[in-house]
Amino acid sequence: MTQPVSSSLMPRDTRRREQVAVFSIAQYSFAISAASVQEIRSTDSLGGTVVELDRPALRKVRHIVERDSRAYYVVSGYEHFHLPSSRPTTVLILRGAPVAVLVDRIEEMAEMKVVLELPKSFRGDERTWYRGLTVLDRKVLPVANHLGFLTAVELQQLEEQNPGLLQTAAASRREREPA
Amino acid sequence: MSTETGSPVPSFVVFHVGRRRVALSREYVAELIASPILYSFPHTTPLITGVVLRRGRIVPVLDLGPGLLGEPSPSARFFLVVERRISSNSERCAIPVQGECELVSGITLAPTSQEEFVTGCLDLNEEQIDVLDLEKAIAAGAKSQEEAIPAAEALS
Repeated sequence: MTQPVSSSLMPRDTRRREQVAVFSIAQYSFAISAASVQEIRSTDSLGGTVVELDRPALRKVRHIVERDSRAYYVVSGYEHFHLPSSRPTTVLILRGAPVAVLVDRIEEMAEMKVVLELPKSFRGDERTWYRGLTVLDRKVLPVANHLGFLTAVELQQLEEQNPGLLQTAAASRREREPA
Repeated sequence: MSTETGSPVPSFVVFHVGRRRVALSREYVAELIASPILYSFPHTTPLITGVVLRRGRIVPVLDLGPGLLGEPSPSARFFLVVERRISSNSERCAIPVQGECELVSGITLAPTSQEEFVTGCLDLNEEQIDVLDLEKAIAAGAKSQEEAIPAAEALS
Protein backbone atom coordinates (compact mmCIF):
# COMPACT_ATOMS: atom_id res chain seq x y z
CA MET A 1 0.00 0.00 0.00
CA THR A 2 1.44 3.39 -0.90
CA GLN A 3 1.32 6.39 1.29
CA PRO A 4 -0.96 9.19 0.19
CA VAL A 5 1.09 11.52 -2.00
CA SER A 6 -0.41 14.54 -0.41
CA SER A 7 1.20 13.75 2.95
CA SER A 8 4.73 14.27 1.61
CA LEU A 9 3.71 17.49 -0.13
CA MET A 10 2.10 18.97 2.92
CA PRO A 11 4.27 21.68 4.49
CA ARG A 12 5.47 20.29 7.80
CA ASP A 13 6.09 22.30 10.92
CA THR A 14 9.58 21.07 11.79
CA ARG A 15 9.97 23.17 14.93
CA ARG A 16 10.67 21.13 18.04
CA ARG A 17 7.65 20.96 20.27
CA GLU A 18 7.78 20.71 24.01
CA GLN A 19 5.30 19.21 26.44
CA VAL A 20 4.38 21.63 29.19
CA ALA A 21 2.28 21.62 32.31
CA VAL A 22 0.10 24.70 32.68
CA PHE A 23 -0.39 25.67 36.32
CA SER A 24 -2.05 28.57 38.04
CA ILE A 25 -1.24 30.71 41.05
CA ALA A 26 -3.79 33.33 42.08
CA GLN A 27 -5.30 34.66 38.83
CA TYR A 28 -2.24 33.92 36.70
CA SER A 29 -1.35 30.94 34.53
CA PHE A 30 2.17 29.73 33.81
CA ALA A 31 3.71 27.00 31.70
CA ILE A 32 6.59 24.79 32.77
CA SER A 33 8.39 22.19 30.72
CA ALA A 34 7.11 18.73 31.60
CA ALA A 35 10.69 17.49 31.33
CA SER A 36 11.68 19.63 34.30
CA VAL A 37 8.91 18.24 36.51
CA GLN A 38 9.56 14.91 38.20
CA GLU A 39 6.27 14.54 39.96
CA ILE A 40 2.99 16.35 40.47
CA ARG A 41 1.22 15.65 43.75
CA SER A 42 -1.65 16.91 45.80
CA THR A 43 -0.52 18.77 48.91
CA ASP A 44 -2.85 16.48 50.93
CA SER A 45 -0.83 13.43 49.94
CA LEU A 46 2.49 14.78 51.27
CA GLY A 47 1.49 14.29 54.91
CA GLY A 48 4.32 13.34 57.25
CA THR A 49 7.09 13.85 54.72
CA VAL A 50 7.08 17.61 55.26
CA VAL A 51 9.58 19.08 57.73
CA GLU A 52 9.52 22.68 58.90
CA LEU A 53 12.78 24.61 58.59
CA ASP A 54 14.22 25.75 61.92
CA ARG A 55 15.81 28.77 60.28
CA PRO A 56 13.90 29.92 57.25
CA ALA A 57 16.46 32.05 55.42
CA LEU A 58 13.95 32.99 52.72
CA ARG A 59 10.36 34.06 53.15
CA LYS A 60 9.26 31.83 50.28
CA VAL A 61 10.85 28.64 51.72
CA ARG A 62 9.57 27.39 55.08
CA HIS A 63 9.61 23.61 54.66
CA ILE A 64 11.42 20.73 53.07
CA VAL A 65 9.70 17.68 51.67
CA GLU A 66 11.15 14.17 51.35
CA ARG A 67 10.36 12.08 48.32
CA ASP A 68 12.00 8.87 47.16
CA SER A 69 15.04 9.26 49.41
CA ARG A 70 15.60 12.83 48.33
CA ALA A 71 14.74 16.09 50.02
CA TYR A 72 13.50 19.26 48.35
CA TYR A 73 13.02 22.83 49.49
CA VAL A 74 9.33 23.74 49.26
CA VAL A 75 8.96 27.10 47.49
CA SER A 76 5.70 28.98 47.88
CA GLY A 77 4.68 29.91 44.35
CA TYR A 78 2.77 33.02 45.34
CA GLU A 79 5.62 34.31 47.51
CA HIS A 80 8.10 33.59 44.71
CA PHE A 81 6.09 35.58 42.14
CA HIS A 82 5.23 38.33 44.67
CA LEU A 83 1.51 37.56 44.43
CA PRO A 84 -1.19 37.88 47.07
CA SER A 85 -1.74 34.86 49.25
CA SER A 86 -3.37 31.96 47.43
CA ARG A 87 -4.53 28.42 48.25
CA PRO A 88 -2.01 25.92 46.94
CA THR A 89 -3.44 22.45 46.43
CA THR A 90 -0.67 20.99 44.27
CA VAL A 91 3.07 20.60 44.52
CA LEU A 92 5.42 20.30 41.54
CA ILE A 93 8.52 18.34 42.47
CA LEU A 94 11.18 19.49 40.05
CA ARG A 95 13.91 17.59 38.30
CA GLY A 96 17.48 18.89 38.29
CA ALA A 97 16.96 21.15 41.31
CA PRO A 98 16.19 20.36 44.97
CA VAL A 99 12.95 22.30 44.67
CA ALA A 100 9.25 21.56 45.08
CA VAL A 101 6.89 24.38 44.12
CA LEU A 102 3.48 24.98 45.66
CA VAL A 103 0.93 26.02 43.04
CA ASP A 104 -2.83 26.47 43.20
CA ARG A 105 -3.66 23.84 40.59
CA ILE A 106 -2.69 22.21 37.33
CA GLU A 107 -4.86 23.51 34.50
CA GLU A 108 -3.76 21.24 31.67
CA MET A 109 -0.92 19.50 29.88
CA ALA A 110 -0.22 21.07 26.51
CA GLU A 111 2.24 21.18 23.64
CA MET A 112 4.32 24.31 23.29
CA LYS A 113 5.56 25.20 19.81
CA VAL A 114 7.80 28.10 20.61
CA VAL A 115 9.40 30.02 23.46
CA LEU A 116 9.66 33.70 22.64
CA GLU A 117 12.38 35.75 24.25
CA LEU A 118 11.25 37.97 27.10
CA PRO A 119 11.31 41.53 25.69
CA LYS A 120 14.34 43.52 26.84
CA SER A 121 12.06 46.11 28.44
CA PHE A 122 11.57 43.55 31.21
CA ARG A 123 14.56 44.03 33.45
CA GLY A 124 13.53 42.73 36.88
CA ASP A 125 13.40 39.38 38.65
CA GLU A 126 11.26 38.00 35.82
CA ARG A 127 14.43 37.56 33.78
CA THR A 128 15.36 34.83 36.29
CA TRP A 129 11.82 33.55 36.78
CA TYR A 130 11.04 32.87 33.13
CA ARG A 131 12.67 31.16 30.17
CA GLY A 132 10.50 33.33 27.95
CA LEU A 133 6.91 33.59 26.82
CA THR A 134 4.76 31.25 24.82
CA VAL A 135 1.39 31.35 23.13
CA LEU A 136 -1.11 28.62 24.02
CA ASP A 137 -4.72 28.77 22.86
CA ARG A 138 -4.08 32.36 21.71
CA LYS A 139 -3.03 33.37 25.20
CA VAL A 140 0.42 34.61 26.13
CA LEU A 141 1.87 32.71 29.08
CA PRO A 142 5.20 32.99 30.81
CA VAL A 143 7.31 29.82 30.71
CA ALA A 144 8.72 29.23 34.18
CA ASN A 145 12.45 28.55 34.46
CA HIS A 146 12.75 25.53 36.77
CA LEU A 147 16.18 26.73 37.91
CA GLY A 148 14.75 30.17 38.72
CA PHE A 149 12.63 29.17 41.70
CA LEU A 150 15.77 29.02 43.83
CA THR A 151 18.88 30.61 42.42
CA ALA A 152 22.38 29.37 43.31
CA VAL A 153 22.69 32.27 45.76
CA GLU A 154 19.37 31.42 47.43
CA LEU A 155 20.30 27.74 47.66
CA GLN A 156 23.56 28.73 49.28
CA GLN A 157 21.70 30.95 51.78
CA LEU A 158 19.40 28.06 52.70
CA GLU A 159 22.31 25.66 53.03
CA GLU A 160 24.25 28.12 55.21
CA GLN A 161 21.30 28.62 57.53
CA ASN A 162 20.42 24.91 57.63
CA PRO A 163 23.74 23.13 57.01
CA GLY A 164 23.39 19.56 55.80
CA LEU A 165 19.63 19.54 56.38
CA LEU A 166 18.68 18.30 52.92
CA GLN A 167 21.18 15.43 53.09
CA THR A 168 20.20 14.52 56.66
CA ALA A 169 16.50 14.51 55.84
CA ALA A 170 17.06 12.32 52.79
CA ALA A 171 19.30 9.93 54.76
CA SER A 172 16.84 9.57 57.64
CA ARG A 173 14.10 8.89 55.14
CA ARG A 174 16.20 6.12 53.58
CA GLU A 175 16.74 4.58 57.02
CA ARG A 176 13.01 4.62 57.79
CA GLU A 177 12.12 2.95 54.52
CA PRO A 178 11.86 -0.86 54.66
CA ALA A 179 14.61 -2.70 52.84
CA MET B 1 -0.70 56.12 10.00
CA SER B 2 1.22 57.55 7.09
CA THR B 3 3.48 60.50 6.56
CA GLU B 4 5.51 62.16 3.88
CA THR B 5 9.17 61.31 4.06
CA GLY B 6 12.02 63.58 3.12
CA SER B 7 10.24 66.66 4.42
CA PRO B 8 12.68 69.26 5.80
CA VAL B 9 10.23 70.04 8.60
CA PRO B 10 10.32 67.32 11.30
CA SER B 11 7.17 65.35 11.95
CA PHE B 12 5.67 64.46 15.30
CA VAL B 13 2.87 62.32 16.59
CA VAL B 14 0.76 64.19 19.12
CA PHE B 15 -1.20 62.12 21.61
CA HIS B 16 -2.82 62.20 25.05
CA VAL B 17 -1.50 60.41 28.12
CA GLY B 18 -4.38 60.98 30.52
CA ARG B 19 -5.21 64.69 30.32
CA ARG B 20 -1.74 65.67 29.13
CA ARG B 21 -1.09 66.24 25.42
CA VAL B 22 2.45 65.45 24.35
CA ALA B 23 4.42 64.81 21.17
CA LEU B 24 6.95 62.23 20.08
CA SER B 25 9.19 62.39 17.05
CA ARG B 26 7.60 60.52 14.16
CA GLU B 27 10.72 58.38 13.74
CA TYR B 28 9.95 56.54 16.99
CA VAL B 29 6.35 55.70 16.09
CA ALA B 30 5.52 52.50 14.23
CA GLU B 31 1.73 52.30 14.36
CA LEU B 32 -1.45 52.90 16.33
CA ILE B 33 -3.41 49.83 17.35
CA ALA B 34 -6.93 49.63 18.73
CA SER B 35 -8.25 47.37 21.48
CA PRO B 36 -5.55 44.72 21.58
CA ILE B 37 -5.89 41.98 24.18
CA LEU B 38 -3.61 42.78 27.08
CA TYR B 39 -1.93 39.79 28.71
CA SER B 40 -0.45 40.27 32.14
CA PHE B 41 1.76 38.08 34.30
CA PRO B 42 3.87 38.63 37.41
CA HIS B 43 7.00 40.73 37.01
CA THR B 44 8.87 43.47 38.87
CA THR B 45 9.67 45.98 36.11
CA PRO B 46 8.09 49.39 36.76
CA LEU B 47 5.61 50.83 34.20
CA ILE B 48 4.96 47.58 32.34
CA THR B 49 1.27 46.70 32.56
CA GLY B 50 1.41 43.60 30.34
CA VAL B 51 2.11 42.55 26.80
CA VAL B 52 0.17 42.46 23.56
CA LEU B 53 0.63 40.07 20.69
CA ARG B 54 1.22 41.87 17.41
CA ARG B 55 1.95 39.97 14.19
CA GLY B 56 3.50 37.09 16.10
CA ARG B 57 5.66 39.39 18.20
CA ILE B 58 5.39 40.07 21.90
CA VAL B 59 5.12 43.80 22.54
CA PRO B 60 5.41 45.05 26.14
CA VAL B 61 2.95 47.74 27.21
CA LEU B 62 4.54 50.68 29.04
CA ASP B 63 2.42 53.24 30.85
CA LEU B 64 3.94 56.73 30.66
CA GLY B 65 1.39 57.99 33.22
CA PRO B 66 3.60 57.77 36.33
CA GLY B 67 6.30 59.91 34.68
CA LEU B 68 4.03 62.38 32.91
CA LEU B 69 1.08 62.61 35.28
CA GLY B 70 2.45 61.32 38.56
CA GLU B 71 -0.12 58.50 38.48
CA PRO B 72 -1.07 55.59 36.20
CA SER B 73 -2.90 56.74 33.10
CA PRO B 74 -6.58 55.83 32.71
CA SER B 75 -7.54 52.67 30.82
CA ALA B 76 -7.04 53.04 27.10
CA ARG B 77 -8.52 51.70 23.89
CA PHE B 78 -5.63 52.77 21.70
CA PHE B 79 -1.96 51.89 21.96
CA LEU B 80 0.81 53.72 20.19
CA VAL B 81 3.52 51.28 19.13
CA VAL B 82 6.92 52.93 19.40
CA GLU B 83 10.49 51.88 18.86
CA ARG B 84 12.65 51.94 21.97
CA ARG B 85 16.41 52.02 21.85
CA ILE B 86 17.71 49.77 24.61
CA SER B 87 21.51 49.75 24.67
CA SER B 88 22.45 48.99 21.08
CA ASN B 89 19.19 47.19 20.34
CA SER B 90 15.77 48.45 19.43
CA GLU B 91 12.51 47.03 20.68
CA ARG B 92 8.91 47.86 20.04
CA CYS B 93 6.68 48.70 22.95
CA ALA B 94 3.10 49.92 23.17
CA ILE B 95 2.03 53.06 25.01
CA PRO B 96 -1.61 53.33 26.12
CA VAL B 97 -3.01 56.63 24.81
CA GLN B 98 -6.31 58.38 25.36
CA GLY B 99 -8.28 59.74 22.46
CA GLU B 100 -6.94 60.51 19.04
CA CYS B 101 -3.39 60.75 17.76
CA GLU B 102 -2.42 63.44 15.31
CA LEU B 103 0.47 63.63 12.87
CA VAL B 104 1.89 67.14 12.69
CA SER B 105 4.94 68.89 11.27
CA GLY B 106 6.64 71.74 12.97
CA ILE B 107 9.78 73.26 14.36
CA THR B 108 10.53 72.57 18.00
CA LEU B 109 11.05 75.54 20.25
CA ALA B 110 12.98 75.64 23.50
CA PRO B 111 11.22 73.67 26.23
CA THR B 112 8.94 75.58 28.53
CA SER B 113 8.84 72.71 31.02
CA GLN B 114 11.57 72.01 33.57
CA GLU B 115 10.99 68.25 33.30
CA GLU B 116 14.16 66.58 32.07
CA PHE B 117 12.30 64.31 29.64
CA VAL B 118 10.91 67.30 27.73
CA THR B 119 13.29 68.15 24.89
CA GLY B 120 11.34 70.93 23.26
CA CYS B 121 8.00 72.46 22.62
CA LEU B 122 5.67 72.55 19.61
CA ASP B 123 3.36 75.45 18.99
CA LEU B 124 0.09 74.08 17.59
CA ASN B 125 -2.50 76.80 17.09
CA GLU B 126 -1.11 78.59 20.14
CA GLU B 127 -1.23 75.42 22.22
CA GLN B 128 2.17 74.48 23.62
CA ILE B 129 2.84 70.75 23.29
CA ASP B 130 5.79 69.20 25.09
CA VAL B 131 8.03 67.01 22.92
CA LEU B 132 9.23 63.94 24.79
CA ASP B 133 12.51 62.10 24.96
CA LEU B 134 10.96 58.64 25.17
CA GLU B 135 13.74 56.93 27.11
CA LYS B 136 13.95 59.77 29.63
CA ALA B 137 10.17 59.75 30.07
CA ILE B 138 10.28 56.00 30.74
CA ALA B 139 13.19 56.43 33.16
CA ALA B 140 11.36 59.22 35.03
CA GLY B 141 8.24 57.09 35.34
CA ALA B 142 10.20 54.07 36.49
CA LYS B 143 12.01 56.16 39.08
CA SER B 144 8.77 57.61 40.47
CA GLN B 145 7.19 54.16 40.64
CA GLU B 146 10.25 52.61 42.30
CA GLU B 147 10.14 55.37 44.91
CA ALA B 148 6.40 54.89 45.41
CA ILE B 149 6.67 51.15 46.18
CA PRO B 150 8.89 51.43 49.30
CA ALA B 151 6.73 54.34 50.51
CA ALA B 152 3.58 52.21 50.14
CA GLU B 153 5.29 49.31 51.92
CA ALA B 154 6.29 51.62 54.78
CA LEU B 155 2.70 52.80 55.17
CA SER B 156 1.17 49.33 55.04
